[in-house]
Amino acid sequence: MSDLILEMDGIAKSYGGIEVLHGVHFDLYSGEVHAVIGQNGAGKSTLMKILNGVTVRDGGTIRLDGREVLYGSPIEARKHGIGMIFQEFSLVPSLTVSQNVFLAKEPRIRALILNDKKCEERTASLLHEIGADDINPRQLICDLSTGSQQMVEIAKALSSESRIVIMDEPTASLSHKEIEKLFKVIGKLTEKGISIIYVSHYLQDIFKICNRITVLRDGNRISTKDVSETTMEETINDMLGERLIAKRTRTRPSDEKAADTLLEIKDLSVGKHVRNVSFTLRRGEILGIAGLLGSGRSEIVGAIYGVLKKSSGEILIRGNKTNIRSPRDAIKHGIAMVPEDRRKQGLVMSFSIKENMIFPILSKILKYRLIRDREGLKIINGFMEKMSIKAAGPWQIVKSLSGGNQQKVVVAKSMMSDSSILFLDDPTFGIDIQSKQEIMNSVSEFADAGNGVVFISSELDEIVSYCDRIIILKKGEITDMLDCNKRSDISEELLTKMIQ
Amino acid sequence: MSTRNSLMGKAKFNDYVVYIVCALIFVFFSITLHNKGFFTGRNLMNIIRQTTMISVMAVGMTFVLSCGEIDLSIGSVVAISAMITAVLLRYTGVFFAVLGGLATGAVIGLINGFFVTVVRIPSFIVTLGMGAIAGGFARLITNLESVPVANDAFNFIFGSGDVGPVSILFIWTFVLLLLGQLVLRKTRFGRYVLATGGNKTSANYSGININRIKMAVLILNGVLASFAGILYTGRLHGARYSLGDSDLLLVIAAVIIGGTSLFGGKGTVVGSIIGSLIMGMINNGLVLMGLNVSLQMIFRGVIIIASVSLSLRGAKEG
Repeated sequence: MSDLILEMDGIAKSYGGIEVLHGVHFDLYSGEVHAVIGQNGAGKSTLMKILNGVTVRDGGTIRLDGREVLYGSPIEARKHGIGMIFQEFSLVPSLTVSQNVFLAKEPRIRALILNDKKCEERTASLLHEIGADDINPRQLICDLSTGSQQMVEIAKALSSESRIVIMDEPTASLSHKEIEKLFKVIGKLTEKGISIIYVSHYLQDIFKICNRITVLRDGNRISTKDVSETTMEETINDMLGERLIAKRTRTRPSDEKAADTLLEIKDLSVGKHVRNVSFTLRRGEILGIAGLLGSGRSEIVGAIYGVLKKSSGEILIRGNKTNIRSPRDAIKHGIAMVPEDRRKQGLVMSFSIKENMIFPILSKILKYRLIRDREGLKIINGFMEKMSIKAAGPWQIVKSLSGGNQQKVVVAKSMMSDSSILFLDDPTFGIDIQSKQEIMNSVSEFADAGNGVVFISSELDEIVSYCDRIIILKKGEITDMLDCNKRSDISEELLTKMIQ
Repeated sequence: MSTRNSLMGKAKFNDYVVYIVCALIFVFFSITLHNKGFFTGRNLMNIIRQTTMISVMAVGMTFVLSCGEIDLSIGSVVAISAMITAVLLRYTGVFFAVLGGLATGAVIGLINGFFVTVVRIPSFIVTLGMGAIAGGFARLITNLESVPVANDAFNFIFGSGDVGPVSILFIWTFVLLLLGQLVLRKTRFGRYVLATGGNKTSANYSGININRIKMAVLILNGVLASFAGILYTGRLHGARYSLGDSDLLLVIAAVIIGGTSLFGGKGTVVGSIIGSLIMGMINNGLVLMGLNVSLQMIFRGVIIIASVSLSLRGAKEG
């Protein structure tokens, strides 16, 4: 391969006395796409922040082209040819494309006056270089799609002649088309000898476009391998470590033991989205709904929970007909729900873990209408341990938790109320693998205790691993119902085919 | 696609609404106050004369709001700077008196900036407190006495003079309009102000020293407010602690109506000046209508809320 342009050696960093990077090594060849992966908290964002100059390292050296460099701010990093493309919040929405691309390095007429024309011309040629001619340099950022904004970010990195471009979860909010376009741009950049550091959770993408993969775990570098010499399984093992290799699959209760029906849905229709859906949920069962986005999967649980209005159909809980019109009614009937968008619907972000978790148990810990904090804390601590929520303590503000831990708080909340029916709408979306497993394990335990769970997920392997029965939903109708105790051929591939 | 178009349509509407409101109010008063002399050269120049101080402060406030901050101390800065300038005129010449007045504003801006950028208190609170402090000092300096100014050169340059048929205040407004628009639109500083207000994190990561920008904006605003105080002094041939008392609301309303975002990132000096003229016309029109002070207050409040609501329509996407 070509020349080594970047070497980071023995990089160490501590926050508040806790070391999060223990002497990490990382290197980069010119024209290479090098993936950095690891679970949340593995240290990859800290490492990237150090490289980008946002964070100052405690120890270690950074060498560019074999020469040691020292810098302590993003501006200085940029002067060394290191640019970063952030996950979000990195463009000024009220300024135009060209104003953003040349922000803080505007071409000028004389010393004082900005040269907008030159700025726009140069932006247009940069955009042309990466094949994004459809973007007008004069457009406001807030009028652009997410994908186009990312192209602007890339142009911005190129405008300062970056040789190393760090991309942090670049595909997270892009459509399939936009992702394809991004990969083409990455190809063009590497042809020019620009190196890409690609930070992502999406392993399939990584195996498609990267040359090498560095895996970080708990602040250590575990491995750096050529993509051609490793496999996805090996990479996942490196990420998770020894203790988590064995994937726990649920021990499914046999059909004979399947006791009384908890929830029965008869001929449920919700507008255009759901047509005549009927199913039952039994005690101790996890019922999966496999369907594509837009298949009506969220609308089914939404209608049962009283968020959406149902057009027709009956809901029977423990054999009794009910009339649920609002989430309040649903909660009274013992239904809890983990909604799709945890930030908007599930949590008060500025509250602490305790303040969030105390809502569902308020009635239990009231005495003379006053909250008995100590009682509450006991229950909350129990759940935090059970769900392995990683936080400094129950007083930590939810906003400052990682996505995985935030989601654990949401799930814990739904289990803490005395509900016996739990709806989970894509509860593991966008969170790290370990948190996923921890959440699903506690959901399993919840079901084993004699409760029922309806589980929706975009990740079909999770449905395969954890569900007892699976509803196949296509365009608002149930096309099949699989019983995992009776069929042994159920796999991710099978489900993927069935829902198309 | 259609939603994006309609959003842009709304944004455009929002950019021009200030001119529409201005024209509407102008036409309304021209017709209803036809026989009370609203639409006469003398009265129109009078409106500009009365509006200049608001315009000057509105230029500064445009920068402050564009930067994502706010400055509620300007009313008191007007008063204390006017008092200090007037008192200094007893002892020194025009140059040092004016310099002293402007320095007062700069120092207050600097203190505001210190608390906003170093101690990290929201500007809303800092400047609210600073307004009280400065207001107190303005009263303390002469024990509530007003200070007359008999310096003719000062009075001519800073408010009372006319150059031909044109009031010197009109010239000051025009100069500040040009300078303000140039700085905001065409210089690095202006661009950095908009970037800081539009997205602090991004501005910071791009290499902009956002604290320095905030500091500079608050100092600039202090200086412009004290300049408004000096103009008041020149126009009224003296200073009182009550100068600038009711200007804060007018200034903020003028800037918002003009199209500057209350949440930062978007600003226009031209719009702010037009917004100030709207405020001036409203004041003038209400007086000509013969309303008493109490009714003027009520109507002014109603009209301000109505026009700001109109100008914020469609601008809420942030």
